[in-house]
Amino acid sequence: MTPVPAARSVLAAAAIVLMGAGVGPAAPVPPPIDATRVLEMALEAPRLIDYEGTKVITALRAGRAETVTVAELHKRPTMLRLEYLSPEGVAGRLIVDDGTAAWHYEPRLNMAFEDQTVQEGLSVRDLTLLRRNYTLSLLGTDEVIGRQAYVIALEPRGAGVRRQLWVDRATGTVLRTEERDPSRGAVLSTYFSRISFSLNLPEALFRFRTPAGARVFTMRTVEAGSMSPAELEQRVGFRVLIPPVLPEGYTFRGGAVSRFGSLTSVYLRYSDGGSLISFFEAPAGAIGWPAFGQPVRVAAQPARFVDLGYFRVLIWEQRGLRVTAVGTAPTGTLLTVAGQIAAGREQALVSDVSRRVESDPATIRRLRGQGLTFPEIARTLVLAQQLGTDLSTAVRFVHGAITEDELARQLGMQPDALRQTVRAAVQRASTISPVAPPSGGDRPPAPLPPP
Amino acid sequence: MLNHHRAEHLLSAYLDGELPPQEAAAVQEHLLDCAGCRETYERLRGTKGLLGQLPLAEPPADLWPVLLEPAAGGPDPGDPGGRPARGRGLRFARIPRPRRWPALLRRPAWAIAAALAVLLLAAVPLVKGTVDRLHATEIGVDLYVREHAIQMSREPLADRAYLDLVATDADLVLVGETSRAGEGGR
Repeated sequence: MTPVPAARSVLAAAAIVLMGAGVGPAAPVPPPIDATRVLEMALEAPRLIDYEGTKVITALRAGRAETVTVAELHKRPTMLRLEYLSPEGVAGRLIVDDGTAAWHYEPRLNMAFEDQTVQEGLSVRDLTLLRRNYTLSLLGTDEVIGRQAYVIALEPRGAGVRRQLWVDRATGTVLRTEERDPSRGAVLSTYFSRISFSLNLPEALFRFRTPAGARVFTMRTVEAGSMSPAELEQRVGFRVLIPPVLPEGYTFRGGAVSRFGSLTSVYLRYSDGGSLISFFEAPAGAIGWPAFGQPVRVAAQPARFVDLGYFRVLIWEQRGLRVTAVGTAPTGTLLTVAGQIAAGREQALVSDVSRRVESDPATIRRLRGQGLTFPEIARTLVLAQQLGTDLSTAVRFVHGAITEDELARQLGMQPDALRQTVRAAVQRASTISPVAPPSGGDRPPAPLPPP
Repeated sequence: MLNHHRAEHLLSAYLDGELPPQEAAAVQEHLLDCAGCRETYERLRGTKGLLGQLPLAEPPADLWPVLLEPAAGGPDPGDPGGRPARGRGLRFARIPRPRRWPALLRRPAWAIAAALAVLLLAAVPLVKGTVDRLHATEIGVDLYVREHAIQMSREPLADRAYLDLVATDADLVLVGETSRAGEGGR
C-alpha cells in the first residue's frame, strides 16, 4: 500500500492513484479523486453492480478471533445470498434476502427464520452523517486479489471505531475492510479472496425455498417503521428513558417496540453514520437479572457488563426499568452514557437548557420526545434562532436529514456563509449545553468492590 | 376351612342368621374348635339379647314438625300429636339434617386432591410469570443483540455477512437451540 498523509493535496492523491494503477505518463490522466468521492462510490456500488465471491471474515468472538468464510452473492439493487462455508459450526447456513423478506436457514436443525428485509436504499442522511462525524482521508491505492483499490480511512471525530476501506477502482465494491477499536485493535476485518462481477445472476438464487420438513419461525420481533420516544411511551404505557447525552455525532435513528413472547421492550437506536448504539428498555419485573457478565456499577447501582467480542452489552436498572445498551462503542463511553441516563436529572436538565437557551420548557420536552439529546437540543435551538428557520427544519438538519448545501438553498444563503453560521452556532451551543458528550477513551469497567 | 380372622368377621351375621348355609356351617365348625371365637360369639349374643329387651319409645310430639313435613302444609290438625296426615306423603327436602362435613371432606384423599388442584390453579399465573421472567433472563441479551445486529446491518458501512451470522446465532438461542454445532451456552 502507498500511504499518503490526509492533509496532502488532491494532486498528490491523484498521482499516487496513477502510480498504484500502473498507468504510465502517456496514458490519459483520470480526474482527481478524493476520499469523499471514493466513499460515495462505495455506498452507491451495491445499487449498480452484481457480484459473486468468497469473503473471509475475522471478528472477535467470546475472547478470541474467529474466522468465517462465506460465499456472498449480490444482485442489484438489494438482493443478497450468503452461504457460510466455515467454520464447521456454521457450515451450510444460508441467508437469502429477496429485497422484501430475509430468511435465515440452519441445516443442522432444519430450521428457517423469516424476518423483514433490512436492505434499504442509500439515504442522504447516511453520507451526511459519515461526512459530519468522521474525518475522511484517502490513504492511497492497494491491490486486493489482483484488483486495484482505493484505500480510505474514516476516523471518528468522537470516541469510536476507526475504519479503513479498500474500494475497487473499477466497480466501487468494497473488497476489504478493517475496523479498529481504540483499546483492542482490529475487532472486525473482511476481505474477498475471490470475486466476479457483472454475472447477471438469476433471480431464483435470491428466492428462498423452504426445505421439506423444515420448521419455520417468524422472527418479526420489531415492528416496521420508526416511532419517536414520545409515541413509544404512549404505545407501551411506561416512561421511556431518553439518553441525555451521547458521544459526539450520535443522533436518534429510530425507535420501535420489540416483542418476543411475553417480553415487551422499547428499542431506541442512535447512530453516527458508521456505528450504532441501541437502548432496550423493559419493565424490570418482566425480565430477570442476568447471571452472566461482569458485575460493574452504573451511577452507584449494580450493573452487568457483557463483552461479546465485536459487541458490548451493558445492563442496569432504574425507575423500575431494565435498560440494556448494545454497541461497538468503547466500554468507557457506554459506561459514561449509562451513568448520564441513570443519574435521572431529566427535569433539572430541561430547566437548565430552557434557561440557558431562553426557550420554554415545553419546547425542550417536545424535542426530548423526538429523541434529541440535550446538546442536540441546544444546537437545534441556537441554529433555529441564528438562521431564522423553524424548529422542524433545524431538527432535520441536526439529524443529518438535510445537508448544508440543501439548507443553504432553502434559506437562499451562500453555502460558505451557511457553513460559517452553523460552525458559530455549534460552538455557542457547546458552551451553553449543560452536559458535555463523553470525550471517549476506552477504560475498562471498574469491578464492584468486594462485599 | 375358615380361618380365625374371617370367622370373627362373620360372627355377627351368623348370629343374625344372615349367612348362606354353607358359610354358616363353616362358622359353626370353627366355633367348635376356637375358644376365642366362642367367647366373642357369647358376648355378641348377650349384647343382642339386651338390645332386644329395650322398650320401643314414642318420639316426642314436637319432633314431628321438625323432622317430617306434610306435603300440603304442616301437621294434620286432627292429630293431637301433630303427626302428618296419612296419604299425603313426606318431603325430605326441608328436613334438617344433622351437621355433617361436606362429602369431599369425609374422604381425605379427595379433599387433599381438591386442595392441591385449587392451589395449582391459583399458582399458575405466578408460576407462569416466574417462568417468563426466567426465560426473559435467558433470552434477553440474545434478543437484544439480535435486534442490534439486524438494525446495525442497515448502517451503510456494516458488513451484512457478519451481522447476519450473529443474528442467526441469536435466532437459534431464542428457539432453545445452541447457536453453533458443538457449542454450549454462554
